[in-house]
Amino acid sequence: MLVVTLVAASLAIITVDYRAGEQGPLAAAGRATSSALAPLQQAVSNVVQPVSNFFSSLAKLPSLSRRNKELQQQVDDLKTAQQENQDLSRRIDSLEQLLGLQAITSHTIAARVIASGVSNFEWSITIDRGTDDGIQVDMPVVTGASDGPRLVGRVIRVTPISSVVQLIIDRDFAVAGKLSTSQEAGLVMGRGEEDLRMGHLRPGIQVSPTDPESVFTLGYEVNGQRGLYPPGILIGTVSRAFSEPDSVESSVTIRPAVDFSTLQYVLVIARNPARPGEVP
Amino acid sequence: MRRTAVLVAVIVTALLLQTAVFPQLTLLHVKPELLYLVTVIFAVLLGPGEGAVVGFVSGLAQDFMLNMPKGITALTLTLLGYTVGLARQYITSPSPLLPAVLVALGTAGGVAFHQVVTFLLGEEEGPFSYAAKVILVTAVYGAVLTPIFFPVLRRAAAATQAGRVVRF
Repeated sequence: MLVVTLVAASLAIITVDYRAGEQGPLAAAGRATSSALAPLQQAVSNVVQPVSNFFSSLAKLPSLSRRNKELQQQVDDLKTAQQENQDLSRRIDSLEQLLGLQAITSHTIAARVIASGVSNFEWSITIDRGTDDGIQVDMPVVTGASDGPRLVGRVIRVTPISSVVQLIIDRDFAVAGKLSTSQEAGLVMGRGEEDLRMGHLRPGIQVSPTDPESVFTLGYEVNGQRGLYPPGILIGTVSRAFSEPDSVESSVTIRPAVDFSTLQYVLVIARNPARPGEVP
Repeated sequence: MRRTAVLVAVIVTALLLQTAVFPQLTLLHVKPELLYLVTVIFAVLLGPGEGAVVGFVSGLAQDFMLNMPKGITALTLTLLGYTVGLARQYITSPSPLLPAVLVALGTAGGVAFHQVVTFLLGEEEGPFSYAAKVILVTAVYGAVLTPIFFPVLRRAAAATQAGRVVRF
Protein backbone atom coordinates (compact mmCIF):
# COMPACT_ATOMS: atom_id res chain seq x y z
CA MET A 1 0.00 0.00 0.00
CA LEU A 2 2.84 2.36 0.94
CA VAL A 3 4.70 1.84 -2.30
CA VAL A 4 1.50 2.38 -4.31
CA THR A 5 0.96 5.68 -2.49
CA LEU A 6 4.55 6.80 -3.16
CA VAL A 7 4.34 5.84 -6.85
CA ALA A 8 1.04 7.70 -7.14
CA ALA A 9 2.61 10.71 -5.43
CA SER A 10 5.53 10.61 -7.88
CA LEU A 11 3.17 10.48 -10.85
CA ALA A 12 1.14 13.35 -9.40
CA ILE A 13 4.34 15.39 -8.96
CA ILE A 14 5.36 14.74 -12.58
CA THR A 15 1.91 15.83 -13.78
CA VAL A 16 1.74 18.95 -11.61
CA ASP A 17 5.25 20.01 -12.59
CA TYR A 18 4.50 19.49 -16.28
CA ARG A 19 1.37 21.65 -16.07
CA ALA A 20 2.69 24.38 -13.77
CA GLY A 21 6.24 24.69 -15.20
CA GLU A 22 8.63 27.25 -13.74
CA GLN A 23 5.84 29.16 -11.99
CA GLY A 24 4.54 26.17 -10.06
CA PRO A 25 5.01 25.20 -6.42
CA LEU A 26 7.48 22.43 -7.25
CA ALA A 27 9.78 24.79 -9.12
CA ALA A 28 9.64 27.08 -6.09
CA ALA A 29 10.51 24.11 -3.86
CA GLY A 30 13.43 23.38 -6.19
CA ARG A 31 14.70 26.93 -5.83
CA ALA A 32 14.33 26.69 -2.05
CA THR A 33 16.35 23.45 -2.03
CA SER A 34 19.08 25.01 -4.18
CA SER A 35 19.13 28.04 -1.91
CA ALA A 36 19.45 25.91 1.22
CA LEU A 37 22.23 23.78 -0.26
CA ALA A 38 24.28 26.65 -1.72
CA PRO A 39 26.09 27.66 1.52
CA LEU A 40 26.92 24.01 2.19
CA GLN A 41 28.15 23.53 -1.39
CA GLN A 42 30.29 26.64 -1.00
CA ALA A 43 31.80 25.33 2.24
CA VAL A 44 32.54 21.92 0.71
CA SER A 45 33.98 23.57 -2.40
CA ASN A 46 36.30 25.69 -0.23
CA VAL A 47 37.74 22.51 1.23
CA VAL A 48 37.81 20.36 -1.90
CA GLN A 49 39.06 22.89 -4.47
CA PRO A 50 42.62 23.36 -3.10
CA VAL A 51 43.08 19.60 -2.77
CA SER A 52 41.77 19.04 -6.27
CA ASN A 53 44.03 21.79 -7.66
CA PHE A 54 47.06 20.23 -5.96
CA PHE A 55 46.45 16.80 -7.47
CA SER A 56 45.65 18.14 -10.93
CA SER A 57 48.91 20.19 -10.80
CA LEU A 58 50.86 17.03 -9.94
CA ALA A 59 49.29 15.21 -12.86
CA LYS A 60 50.29 18.01 -15.22
CA LEU A 61 53.94 18.37 -14.06
CA PRO A 62 55.58 16.34 -16.89
CA SER A 63 53.99 18.48 -19.59
CA LEU A 64 54.66 21.84 -17.92
CA SER A 65 58.05 22.50 -19.55
CA ARG A 66 56.76 21.83 -23.06
CA ARG A 67 53.64 23.86 -22.33
CA ASN A 68 55.80 26.73 -21.07
CA LYS A 69 57.65 26.91 -24.41
CA GLU A 70 54.40 26.82 -26.34
CA LEU A 71 52.96 29.61 -24.23
CA GLN A 72 56.10 31.74 -24.67
CA GLN A 73 55.71 31.40 -28.42
CA GLN A 74 52.04 32.33 -28.13
CA VAL A 75 52.92 35.41 -26.06
CA ASP A 76 55.28 36.62 -28.79
CA ASP A 77 52.64 36.05 -31.45
CA LEU A 78 49.99 37.76 -29.37
CA LYS A 79 52.17 40.82 -28.81
CA THR A 80 52.36 41.28 -32.55
CA ALA A 81 48.64 40.64 -32.94
CA GLN A 82 47.84 43.06 -30.13
CA GLN A 83 49.66 45.84 -31.92
CA GLU A 84 47.62 45.21 -35.06
CA ASN A 85 44.40 44.98 -33.03
CA GLN A 86 45.01 48.32 -31.37
CA ASP A 87 45.27 49.97 -34.77
CA LEU A 88 42.11 48.20 -35.95
CA SER A 89 40.28 49.10 -32.73
CA ARG A 90 41.03 52.77 -33.21
CA ARG A 91 39.73 52.60 -36.76
CA ILE A 92 36.53 50.80 -35.64
CA ASP A 93 35.91 53.39 -32.90
CA SER A 94 36.15 56.23 -35.32
CA LEU A 95 33.92 54.44 -37.86
CA GLU A 96 31.30 53.68 -35.18
CA GLN A 97 31.27 57.29 -34.16
CA LEU A 98 30.75 58.23 -37.78
CA LEU A 99 27.85 55.79 -38.14
CA GLY A 100 26.34 56.72 -34.78
CA LEU A 101 26.50 53.17 -33.43
CA GLN A 102 26.38 52.65 -29.70
CA ALA A 103 28.13 49.84 -27.88
CA ILE A 104 25.89 47.56 -25.84
CA THR A 105 26.00 48.83 -22.29
CA SER A 106 26.73 46.01 -19.91
CA HIS A 107 28.60 45.27 -16.76
CA THR A 108 29.81 41.99 -15.37
CA ILE A 109 29.42 40.28 -12.01
CA ALA A 110 32.26 37.99 -10.95
CA ALA A 111 31.22 34.68 -9.40
CA ARG A 112 32.85 31.51 -8.14
CA VAL A 113 31.82 28.03 -9.21
CA ILE A 114 30.71 26.13 -6.11
CA ALA A 115 29.16 22.97 -7.55
CA SER A 116 28.36 21.00 -10.67
CA GLY A 117 25.09 19.49 -11.85
CA VAL A 118 23.77 16.50 -9.94
CA SER A 119 23.02 14.41 -13.03
CA ASN A 120 25.18 12.85 -15.72
CA PHE A 121 22.60 13.94 -18.29
CA GLU A 122 22.62 17.68 -17.53
CA TRP A 123 25.65 19.92 -17.88
CA SER A 124 25.38 22.79 -15.42
CA ILE A 125 27.27 24.56 -12.66
CA THR A 126 26.19 26.45 -9.55
CA ILE A 127 27.75 29.84 -8.82
CA ASP A 128 27.83 31.80 -5.56
CA ARG A 129 25.92 34.87 -6.78
CA GLY A 130 22.13 35.28 -7.04
CA THR A 131 19.34 37.81 -7.21
CA ASP A 132 20.85 39.71 -4.26
CA ASP A 133 23.78 40.52 -6.55
CA GLY A 134 21.60 41.51 -9.50
CA ILE A 135 21.65 38.22 -11.39
CA GLN A 136 18.57 37.26 -13.39
CA VAL A 137 17.51 34.27 -15.46
CA ASP A 138 18.86 34.22 -19.04
CA MET A 139 21.92 36.36 -18.35
CA PRO A 140 24.95 35.17 -20.35
CA VAL A 141 27.92 33.77 -18.44
CA VAL A 142 31.50 34.01 -19.72
CA THR A 143 35.03 33.37 -18.55
CA GLY A 144 38.42 34.86 -19.44
CA ALA A 145 39.26 38.55 -19.62
CA SER A 146 36.36 40.92 -20.14
CA ASP A 147 37.99 42.13 -23.39
CA GLY A 148 38.30 38.55 -24.71
CA PRO A 149 35.43 36.63 -23.18
CA ARG A 150 34.66 32.98 -23.85
CA LEU A 151 31.09 31.71 -23.58
CA VAL A 152 30.29 29.45 -20.62
CA GLY A 153 26.48 29.36 -20.75
CA ARG A 154 23.43 31.16 -19.42
CA VAL A 155 21.68 31.48 -16.09
CA ILE A 156 18.64 29.20 -15.91
CA ARG A 157 17.70 29.35 -12.22
CA VAL A 158 18.36 31.93 -9.52
CA THR A 159 18.00 32.04 -5.77
CA PRO A 160 18.92 35.04 -3.61
CA ILE A 161 22.42 33.66 -2.98
CA SER A 162 23.20 31.31 -5.86
CA SER A 163 22.45 30.64 -9.52
CA VAL A 164 22.46 27.61 -11.77
CA VAL A 165 24.19 28.09 -15.13
CA GLN A 166 23.38 25.85 -18.07
CA LEU A 167 26.67 25.15 -19.90
CA ILE A 168 26.95 25.52 -23.66
CA ILE A 169 27.62 21.77 -23.93
CA ASP A 170 24.21 20.91 -22.42
CA ARG A 171 21.92 19.22 -24.93
CA ASP A 172 19.21 21.85 -24.40
CA PHE A 173 21.54 24.76 -25.09
CA ALA A 174 21.44 26.75 -28.34
CA VAL A 175 23.01 30.05 -29.40
CA ALA A 176 23.30 31.94 -32.69
CA GLY A 177 26.93 31.87 -33.85
CA LYS A 178 29.09 33.30 -36.60
CA LEU A 179 32.24 31.94 -38.24
CA SER A 180 35.17 34.33 -37.89
CA THR A 181 36.48 34.48 -41.47
CA SER A 182 33.57 33.53 -43.71
CA GLN A 183 31.11 35.44 -41.46
CA GLU A 184 28.52 32.69 -42.01
CA ALA A 185 25.86 32.48 -39.33
CA GLY A 186 24.26 29.35 -37.91
CA LEU A 187 22.76 27.78 -34.83
CA VAL A 188 25.25 26.32 -32.34
CA MET A 189 23.86 23.51 -30.18
CA GLY A 190 25.29 21.59 -27.22
CA ARG A 191 25.82 17.82 -27.48
CA GLY A 192 27.03 16.81 -24.06
CA GLU A 193 30.44 15.14 -24.11
CA GLU A 194 30.80 15.59 -27.85
CA ASP A 195 31.87 18.80 -29.59
CA LEU A 196 29.19 21.42 -30.19
CA ARG A 197 27.43 21.38 -33.54
CA MET A 198 26.70 24.39 -35.74
CA GLY A 199 24.12 23.83 -38.44
CA HIS A 200 22.35 25.75 -41.23
CA LEU A 201 25.57 26.59 -43.11
CA ARG A 202 26.01 26.68 -46.89
CA PRO A 203 26.96 23.35 -48.52
CA GLY A 204 30.62 22.52 -49.20
CA ILE A 205 32.11 24.51 -46.37
CA GLN A 206 35.81 23.69 -45.77
CA VAL A 207 37.87 23.61 -42.58
CA SER A 208 41.59 24.36 -42.50
CA PRO A 209 43.38 21.84 -40.27
CA THR A 210 46.28 24.25 -39.63
CA ASP A 211 44.32 27.40 -38.96
CA PRO A 212 40.87 26.45 -37.64
CA GLU A 213 38.17 29.08 -37.76
CA SER A 214 36.83 30.55 -34.56
CA VAL A 215 33.13 30.83 -33.81
CA PHE A 216 31.70 33.84 -32.00
CA THR A 217 28.25 34.70 -30.72
CA LEU A 218 26.11 36.58 -33.19
CA GLY A 219 24.42 39.63 -31.76
CA TYR A 220 21.13 40.37 -33.44
CA GLU A 221 17.93 42.31 -33.05
CA VAL A 222 14.49 41.32 -34.32
CA ASN A 223 11.59 43.78 -34.15
CA GLY A 224 13.38 45.75 -31.47
CA GLN A 225 14.08 42.67 -29.38
CA ARG A 226 17.73 41.94 -28.84
CA GLY A 227 19.25 38.46 -28.55
CA LEU A 228 20.42 37.23 -25.15
CA TYR A 229 24.09 37.12 -26.05
CA PRO A 230 26.20 40.15 -26.93
CA PRO A 231 28.12 39.75 -30.19
CA GLY A 232 31.76 38.72 -30.27
CA ILE A 233 31.95 36.22 -27.40
CA LEU A 234 34.20 33.31 -28.39
CA ILE A 235 32.32 30.00 -28.43
CA GLY A 236 35.09 27.75 -29.74
CA THR A 237 37.04 26.63 -32.80
CA VAL A 238 35.80 24.55 -35.71
CA SER A 239 37.06 20.97 -35.53
CA ARG A 240 35.27 19.31 -38.45
CA ALA A 241 32.94 20.15 -41.34
CA PHE A 242 30.43 17.70 -42.77
CA SER A 243 27.16 17.39 -44.67
CA GLU A 244 24.38 14.93 -44.02
CA PRO A 245 23.46 12.81 -47.08
CA ASP A 246 20.74 14.47 -49.18
CA SER A 247 21.05 17.66 -47.17
CA VAL A 248 21.18 21.11 -48.73
CA GLU A 249 23.20 22.53 -45.88
CA SER A 250 26.46 21.85 -44.09
CA SER A 251 27.33 21.59 -40.44
CA VAL A 252 30.51 21.97 -38.45
CA THR A 253 31.53 20.65 -35.07
CA ILE A 254 33.06 23.12 -32.63
CA ARG A 255 35.50 22.45 -29.81
CA PRO A 256 34.45 24.72 -26.90
CA ALA A 257 36.92 27.45 -25.92
CA VAL A 258 36.32 26.75 -22.24
CA ASP A 259 37.70 23.79 -20.30
CA PHE A 260 34.67 23.12 -18.10
CA SER A 261 36.47 20.58 -15.92
CA THR A 262 38.76 23.27 -14.47
CA LEU A 263 36.35 26.19 -14.42
CA GLN A 264 36.55 28.07 -11.11
CA TYR A 265 35.53 31.68 -11.77
CA VAL A 266 33.05 33.17 -14.23
CA LEU A 267 31.60 36.54 -15.17
CA VAL A 268 27.86 37.04 -15.49
CA ILE A 269 27.01 39.69 -18.07
CA ALA A 270 24.30 41.91 -16.64
CA ARG A 271 23.02 43.75 -19.65
CA ASN A 272 21.16 47.01 -19.67
CA PRO A 273 17.74 46.14 -18.15
CA ALA A 274 15.99 48.98 -19.96
CA ARG A 275 14.94 46.70 -22.82
CA PRO A 276 12.59 43.96 -21.65
CA GLY A 277 11.32 41.04 -23.70
CA GLU A 278 14.64 39.83 -25.00
CA VAL A 279 14.66 36.65 -27.03
CA PRO A 280 17.39 34.01 -27.28
CA MET B 1 12.13 12.75 14.65
CA ARG B 2 15.51 11.06 14.92
CA ARG B 3 14.71 8.96 11.86
CA THR B 4 13.86 12.06 9.81
CA ALA B 5 17.00 13.87 10.95
CA VAL B 6 19.25 10.94 10.04
CA LEU B 7 17.56 10.53 6.67
CA VAL B 8 17.89 14.24 5.86
CA ALA B 9 21.55 14.23 6.92
CA VAL B 10 22.31 11.22 4.72
CA ILE B 11 20.55 12.68 1.68
CA VAL B 12 22.06 16.16 2.05
CA THR B 13 25.54 14.66 2.45
CA ALA B 14 25.03 12.50 -0.64
CA LEU B 15 23.86 15.54 -2.64
CA LEU B 16 26.84 17.60 -1.50
CA LEU B 17 29.28 14.84 -2.38
CA GLN B 18 27.58 14.34 -5.73
CA THR B 19 27.67 18.04 -6.71
CA ALA B 20 30.80 19.39 -5.03
CA VAL B 21 33.24 16.50 -4.64
CA PHE B 22 32.62 13.78 -7.22
CA PRO B 23 32.63 16.13 -10.24
CA GLN B 24 36.41 16.21 -9.56
CA LEU B 25 36.55 12.41 -9.27
CA THR B 26 34.79 11.22 -12.38
CA LEU B 27 35.32 7.82 -13.94
CA LEU B 28 35.48 8.20 -17.75
CA HIS B 29 33.83 11.63 -17.27
CA VAL B 30 30.89 10.06 -15.42
CA LYS B 31 29.90 10.87 -11.84
CA PRO B 32 28.61 8.15 -9.51
CA GLU B 33 24.92 8.05 -8.64
CA LEU B 34 25.20 8.34 -4.87
CA LEU B 35 21.47 8.61 -4.19
CA TYR B 36 20.91 5.35 -6.05
CA LEU B 37 23.61 3.81 -3.86
CA VAL B 38 21.97 5.18 -0.68
CA THR B 39 18.57 3.86 -1.73
CA VAL B 40 19.86 0.38 -2.57
CA ILE B 41 21.82 0.02 0.67
CA PHE B 42 18.90 1.22 2.82
CA ALA B 43 16.61 -1.20 0.97
CA VAL B 44 19.08 -4.06 1.54
CA LEU B 45 19.31 -3.26 5.26
CA LEU B 46 15.74 -2.24 6.08
CA GLY B 47 13.50 -3.97 3.56
CA PRO B 48 11.14 -2.91 0.77
CA GLY B 49 8.95 -0.44 2.71
CA GLU B 50 11.81 1.61 4.11
CA GLY B 51 13.65 1.26 0.79
CA ALA B 52 10.70 2.79 -1.04
CA VAL B 53 10.43 5.68 1.43
CA VAL B 54 14.16 6.45 1.31
CA GLY B 55 14.04 6.16 -2.48
CA PHE B 56 11.11 8.55 -2.76
CA VAL B 57 12.70 11.22 -0.53
CA SER B 58 16.13 10.85 -2.16
CA GLY B 59 14.64 10.99 -5.63
CA LEU B 60 12.58 14.06 -4.83
CA ALA B 61 15.66 15.80 -3.42
CA GLN B 62 17.59 15.04 -6.61
CA ASP B 63 14.64 16.12 -8.77
CA PHE B 64 14.66 19.53 -7.10
CA MET B 65 18.24 20.02 -8.30
CA LEU B 66 17.47 19.11 -11.91
CA ASN B 67 16.33 21.19 -14.84
CA MET B 68 13.79 18.61 -15.96
CA PRO B 69 10.26 17.57 -14.92
CA LYS B 70 10.28 16.79 -11.24
CA GLY B 71 9.12 13.43 -9.96
CA ILE B 72 10.90 11.16 -12.43
CA THR B 73 13.80 10.38 -10.11
CA ALA B 74 11.39 10.04 -7.16
CA LEU B 75 9.41 7.46 -9.14
CA THR B 76 12.59 5.65 -10.20
CA LEU B 77 14.10 5.44 -6.74
CA THR B 78 10.80 4.48 -5.07
CA LEU B 79 10.51 1.49 -7.37
CA LEU B 80 14.22 0.74 -7.03
CA GLY B 81 14.11 0.78 -3.22
CA TYR B 82 11.03 -1.42 -3.14
CA THR B 83 12.35 -3.88 -5.72
CA VAL B 84 15.78 -4.27 -4.12
CA GLY B 85 14.24 -4.60 -0.64
CA LEU B 86 11.88 -7.28 -1.93
CA ALA B 87 14.61 -9.13 -3.81
CA ARG B 88 16.88 -9.07 -0.75
CA GLN B 89 14.32 -11.13 1.20
CA TYR B 90 14.75 -13.98 -1.26
CA ILE B 91 18.56 -13.88 -1.48
CA THR B 92 20.29 -16.08 1.06
CA SER B 93 23.87 -15.61 -0.12
CA PRO B 94 26.27 -14.82 2.74
CA SER B 95 28.75 -13.24 0.33
CA PRO B 96 30.20 -9.93 1.55
CA LEU B 97 30.13 -8.80 -2.06
CA LEU B 98 26.34 -8.99 -2.17
CA PRO B 99 25.71 -5.26 -1.37
CA ALA B 100 28.18 -4.19 -4.09
CA VAL B 101 26.52 -6.50 -6.62
CA LEU B 102 23.07 -5.23 -5.67
CA VAL B 103 24.24 -1.60 -5.92
CA ALA B 104 25.70 -2.26 -9.38
CA LEU B 105 22.58 -4.02 -10.65
CA GLY B 106 20.23 -1.55 -8.95
CA THR B 107 22.07 1.49 -10.29
CA ALA B 108 22.18 0.10 -13.82
CA GLY B 109 18.49 -0.80 -13.73
CA GLY B 110 17.51 2.48 -12.09
CA VAL B 111 19.43 4.72 -14.50
CA ALA B 112 18.06 2.72 -17.46
CA PHE B 113 14.49 3.04 -16.13
CA HIS B 114 15.00 6.78 -15.57
CA GLN B 115 16.17 7.18 -19.17
CA VAL B 116 13.19 5.24 -20.52
CA VAL B 117 10.69 7.36 -18.54
CA THR B 118 12.50 10.53 -19.58
CA PHE B 119 12.35 9.44 -23.21
CA LEU B 120 8.64 8.57 -22.96
CA LEU B 121 7.97 12.03 -21.55
CA GLY B 122 9.64 13.59 -24.58
CA GLU B 123 12.70 14.80 -22.68
CA GLU B 124 15.29 13.13 -24.88
CA GLU B 125 18.76 13.38 -23.37
CA GLY B 126 21.15 12.27 -26.05
CA PRO B 127 22.24 9.24 -28.01
CA PHE B 128 21.79 5.68 -26.83
CA SER B 129 25.55 5.12 -26.77
CA TYR B 130 26.04 7.82 -24.13
CA ALA B 131 23.18 6.49 -22.01
CA ALA B 132 24.67 2.98 -22.24
CA LYS B 133 28.06 4.30 -21.15
CA VAL B 134 26.55 6.14 -18.16
CA ILE B 135 24.57 3.05 -17.13
CA LEU B 136 27.66 0.86 -17.25
CA VAL B 137 30.06 3.28 -15.58
CA THR B 138 27.69 4.34 -12.79
CA ALA B 139 27.06 0.67 -12.02
CA VAL B 140 30.78 -0.09 -11.77
CA TYR B 141 31.47 3.13 -9.85
CA GLY B 142 28.64 2.38 -7.41
CA ALA B 143 30.01 -1.11 -6.79
CA VAL B 144 33.50 0.30 -6.16
CA LEU B 145 32.17 2.89 -3.71
CA THR B 146 29.94 0.45 -1.81
CA PRO B 147 32.66 -0.91 0.52
CA ILE B 148 33.47 2.70 1.49
CA PHE B 149 29.91 3.88 2.08
CA PHE B 150 28.31 0.66 3.35
CA PRO B 151 29.63 0.80 6.96
CA VAL B 152 28.57 4.45 7.32
CA LEU B 153 25.14 3.84 5.85
CA ARG B 154 24.66 0.73 8.00
CA ARG B 155 25.17 2.88 11.10
CA ALA B 156 22.80 5.50 9.71
CA ALA B 157 20.21 2.83 8.97
CA ALA B 158 20.55 1.46 12.48
CA ALA B 159 20.06 4.96 13.87
CA THR B 160 16.75 5.29 12.04
CA GLN B 161 15.43 2.15 13.72
CA ALA B 162 14.91 3.15 17.34
CA GLY B 163 14.96 0.11 19.59
CA ARG B 164 15.77 -2.24 16.75
CA VAL B 165 19.12 -3.77 15.96
CA VAL B 166 20.19 -4.16 12.38
CA ARG B 167 22.54 -6.99 11.59
CA PHE B 168 23.86 -7.72 8.14
